[in-house]
Amino acid sequence: MTKKALAGAGLVLALAMGPALAEDVTVNLLHVNQTGDPFWKQIAENYNASHPGVKVVVDYLENEAYKAKLPTLLQSDDRPDIIYSWAGGVMKAQIEAGYIEDISAHKADFEQTIYGAPLNAYVVDGKLYGVSIQLSEVLMIYNKDLMAKAGVDAASMQTWDGFLDGVKKIKAAGITPLIMGGGDKWPVHFLWSYLLMRQGGADVLLNAEAKPDGFKAQAFIDAGNRLKELAALEPFQDGWLGTKYLPSQGLFGDGKGAIAIQLNGFIQGQQKNATDGKGIANEQIGLAPFPSLPGGIGKVSDTLGGLQGFLVTKGAPKEAIDFLKFFATAEQQKAAAEAGVYVPAIKGTDAFIKNPLVAEVAQSIANSTWHQNFLDQELGPSVGRVVNDISVAIAAGDMTPEEGAGQVQVAWDQQ
Amino acid sequence: MAETTSFPATRHGGPRGGGLLTALIFLPPALTFFTVFVILPIGEAAWYGFFNWNGLNLLENFVGFENYVQLVGNKVFSRAFVNNLLIIAISLSIQLPLALAMAVLLADRLFGAVGFRMLFFLPYILADVAAGLIWRFMFDGDYGLISQIAQGIGFAPLHLLADRDWAYVAVLTVIVWKYFGFHMMLYVAGLQSIDRHLYEAAAIDGASSWQRFRFITIPGLAPMIRLSVFFSLLGSLQFFDMIVALTGGGPLNTTHTMVSFLYYFGIGRMRVGFGSAVGVVLFILCATVAFSYKRLFMRDD
Amino acid sequence: MIDTTSQDPAVAIEEPAGRRADLAPPLSTPLGTLPRLLVLFLVAGLIVVPLLATAVGGFKELGELRTNPFGLPKVWQWQNYWGILETARYWRILGNSLFIASMTVALTLAVAAPAAFAFAHLRFFGHRFLFNYLILGLTFPFATAILPLFIKIRDLGLLDTHWGVILPQVAFSQAVSILLLRNAFRQLPGELLESALVDGCGYIRFFLWITLPLSRPILATVAVISFVVSWNNFLLPLVVLNTPARYPWTLGLMDYQGEFMVAWQLILAFITLTILPAMIMFVLAQKHLVAGLTAGAVKG
Repeated sequence: MTKKALAGAGLVLALAMGPALAEDVTVNLLHVNQTGDPFWKQIAENYNASHPGVKVVVDYLENEAYKAKLPTLLQSDDRPDIIYSWAGGVMKAQIEAGYIEDISAHKADFEQTIYGAPLNAYVVDGKLYGVSIQLSEVLMIYNKDLMAKAGVDAASMQTWDGFLDGVKKIKAAGITPLIMGGGDKWPVHFLWSYLLMRQGGADVLLNAEAKPDGFKAQAFIDAGNRLKELAALEPFQDGWLGTKYLPSQGLFGDGKGAIAIQLNGFIQGQQKNATDGKGIANEQIGLAPFPSLPGGIGKVSDTLGGLQGFLVTKGAPKEAIDFLKFFATAEQQKAAAEAGVYVPAIKGTDAFIKNPLVAEVAQSIANSTWHQNFLDQELGPSVGRVVNDISVAIAAGDMTPEEGAGQVQVAWDQQ
Repeated sequence: MAETTSFPATRHGGPRGGGLLTALIFLPPALTFFTVFVILPIGEAAWYGFFNWNGLNLLENFVGFENYVQLVGNKVFSRAFVNNLLIIAISLSIQLPLALAMAVLLADRLFGAVGFRMLFFLPYILADVAAGLIWRFMFDGDYGLISQIAQGIGFAPLHLLADRDWAYVAVLTVIVWKYFGFHMMLYVAGLQSIDRHLYEAAAIDGASSWQRFRFITIPGLAPMIRLSVFFSLLGSLQFFDMIVALTGGGPLNTTHTMVSFLYYFGIGRMRVGFGSAVGVVLFILCATVAFSYKRLFMRDD
Repeated sequence: MIDTTSQDPAVAIEEPAGRRADLAPPLSTPLGTLPRLLVLFLVAGLIVVPLLATAVGGFKELGELRTNPFGLPKVWQWQNYWGILETARYWRILGNSLFIASMTVALTLAVAAPAAFAFAHLRFFGHRFLFNYLILGLTFPFATAILPLFIKIRDLGLLDTHWGVILPQVAFSQAVSILLLRNAFRQLPGELLESALVDGCGYIRFFLWITLPLSRPILATVAVISFVVSWNNFLLPLVVLNTPARYPWTLGLMDYQGEFMVAWQLILAFITLTILPAMIMFVLAQKHLVAGLTAGAVKG
């Protein structure tokens, strides 16, 4: 016991004195992918082993904490060299502020290994600033057992009316229909976003950004009304307003709810964060697209999801870019693809995907007619936050759809 | 604090030059620190408040009082302001009386009084975030003791912190839990400085316990009470740490205080101008409270 | 209530030095002894239960928190606690807090004591104005300045450094420290200074060799107040620091909670371990404060 205390004290002293100056070049990478973390740390180790003189350090930070820290993080001289990104308006704001390195010189190299469309998401004004690493999609993830118990067929929930009926039936069976991590807010905005997409179609956002009062267009109001309609059925678990994302995964993994409208990463997440550490097995999980809205312009094959990747920050050593090239190869992504923790945006990884669920997701994204990036990222830092706020407020019955659309408009105008 | 006896100033000034030289060496460090890190930023906050700025680009988007206009119309801020008022209200009506009651029970030499005093003071020394997290656990809907007790009685699990009506009540409870001990200590000190003979004399004169309390204890404690209320008022306006740990602003932004609003909506969303405006409002409130309170109630320091 | 410029609570902890308490009958209260004890134990229970629940909860498995909330753990999961004590992370955040708090105290005293001395004894043009200027700081809310302070620290290149936390803390504690120290310095007999000056001893030497040594109790009090405020500080480090390796324990705690959000048993263990130093210091400091103040009482 004393030995440990002494060691601890010694460690404290050593660390308080400051880090020993290593001769290696250090590359720091910060990301939010909890289930991907061990794989990415392994890739870093592979790189470090084969590249003496360079030390890549991979760090994980929880989603909301990362988003909250990032603005101040970027302003420090010790900012990470590689940061996780969802592209979109938030990325553009970071580029405009001058914190992101232009890596266009390496575009040709990356085009060899990364799919074109996702990579393009990281091009702004013709310049490349980062690389896309993973694709994700938001879909209806359901627990086959619980659905069977409630006597609901997932196929019947493909239309909005069928979806609402299904929710009622599940609730009548004493099961929580939808697990929702309202405490972090952004999970709720998935619902609003999809409803908007189904209602307004692919151009709905472009139109909104272009026209004055564009965010108050009818499609937005309709989306809000549909959300209200759903929320009126009280489909969420008790205390959903306080449940954060990771605990919501835990709840699903514990079998406490039938459906989660969530990212594909949720599947592995619920297995990891369940109380027994195992969660719902892959065979027990079903996937379905978000239902279609009657009279909506959007198609069922339109997908909401992310084009997540990495950005290189200004002043990062060139080894950072080198590491990214190493990272974005099929060979390094093999382990993650096989485990199915995410869908890599890297060419050649399809062959490795063993998990049929992940393969389904990859297929769905490949066939997507319009892949919309997460709205709370796409619309930029302050508007995005407002979208999250109003989604929760509308779902909680605290705000009318008109008010919500109005607030988004105000936030957009204030930028 | 009582007025300090100060020596007649004329008695020591020493050789003029020596005093001045000493002053020139002794004062600048403190003044520099204070000016650079306290006064200047407050002035700058007033300046930034007139701009729409994200803190990164150039400071060029002058918008006059628009930040303040937005603030007035902002529902979340209004709620945050009300929340701060609620803290004050609860402090004055529940927390301080509780502290006084405990102080009265513990001021004299009851066996173990010191132990109880230390125990009651213990929550105060914990960091707000730690206390906040402990109670976040206590209030948790699935694992927390409060919910377990409710379930034991027969209710469904209680998700207090997710309930837009009850979350702030939970917050206020934790505030009382954490701070009553501090005020109790102030009152104990005050009680111990009241001359016991007054009580003896009053008892001889036939005054009842209640009368002794009302006419000796309370007036004797008056300076301490004034001080205690002063700290309570100023402290209530600055509440932040515990909000982050307990609710993060709460379900549907119902548990924000002005400072947490500043953090989440100003810093968190990179709206430095707007956040600075909030800071200025906070400053005006604190300064007003401090100065008017001093003038009305405290003529001493 | 919370206050960064707190009244010295040590005064209240002290037992009355002796005279008054002996003479007095107990302070009259409406309660007899048994009801009084009941009330006290009830309140004590409300204080102890959450703390105990946290400490004991750290020894349970996650599921057991739900199935066996009130009892002792069926199997004591020492690993929950050991696992934390074995990590560098735990010791690092405590070490960071210790470094920041110590530097804050040292610098605060080094800067405030001379200034307080100057205000206590020296008369020069504008001294009253300057004193009031400093005392204004007593009421300034730290949160007002947080945004411009952040920008200033960033521009000074101190972002994400410990000094970026230490320096503002020193600045904000000047008002209270100077106030307390000035008052204490004035309590010292005036003749001492007069005769010293007559003997040719300069102000500075007097300050160093007479004032400071005689003022140990108040210096200790100011030190303790600064230390505690710094130790528990959350908002300033939150805004200034970004690298987890530099976090003080308050940030480290929230960081840990964010990472292990679903594992309440681990979080409870972590909370217990991080508030332990404060509790130990509280018990130890009690004795020191009592000694220091009674010593002051005898001298005065």
